[in-house]
Amino acid sequence: MDITVRKRSEVQLIRLRGPLRLGAAVDELRQVMEEAVGQGDTRIAINLAEVPMIDSSGIGLLVRFLASTKQRGGNIKLVQPSKFAVQTLRLVGVLNLFEIFDDDEAAVESFA
Amino acid sequence: MSLDSSDAREWQDLLDLLMPADANAIAKATDTISQTLTRLKVPEEKRLEVALAVQEALANAVVHGCENNPSKEVRCQLQCDSQGGILVRITDPGPGFNPLLLSDPRQPGKLYAEHGRGVSLIRQLMDEVHIERADAGNQITMRKY
Repeated sequence: MDITVRKRSEVQLIRLRGPLRLGAAVDELRQVMEEAVGQGDTRIAINLAEVPMIDSSGIGLLVRFLASTKQRGGNIKLVQPSKFAVQTLRLVGVLNLFEIFDDDEAAVESFA
Repeated sequence: MSLDSSDAREWQDLLDLLMPADANAIAKATDTISQTLTRLKVPEEKRLEVALAVQEALANAVVHGCENNPSKEVRCQLQCDSQGGILVRITDPGPGFNPLLLSDPRQPGKLYAEHGRGVSLIRQLMDEVHIERADAGNQITMRKY
């Protein structure tokens, strides 16, 4: 999985490319998230436009960090998840836990 | 009752993979199945649903059936029929589990749990799912019409 991270207006913008699934992909994102939260960056937007699949391990990671960022006054918001990713999140009952945006800018502005 | 491919329709064997019980080997196996389904011109939505169900079943086999021990192996078999039906069978050497004892991960108190969604997801993605002990080990057979 390819992960790029940049900061805009105190929001960590994380862009993922590739399936988010058990193994290296989830391990790499976990490391990125732990670093961000460890540094106090709890306002995070994750762009999923190029993520064709999220498995239950990827979902587990997202909800775990959603909970920990919210506890610290932050949040994790999702940008452009694919139709199938949305379907998967809905099937496991967690879609409504997340705010979803059509682009990075809208997600960043929502933290203001 | 077990779900198998010995019903009236003719099943074609497409893949019979043996993979080490390693998390990173799962991705390779899932991608191989996805590529095979693409070659067969399986519609995208159906292909994604089968691939994710396979991903989940392989993850369970590796993590729970083989305890992440790469010296153990997981078997993954893929078949299709002339009407577009797909059958996947995954076997691991583990002791198995009783799926009736699994709780629903969609309950309000479990939504933030990091684990426990795999079997629920498989049951929603596939049209038939059977989990059983077989001679070869613990086996999950999944069918998509």
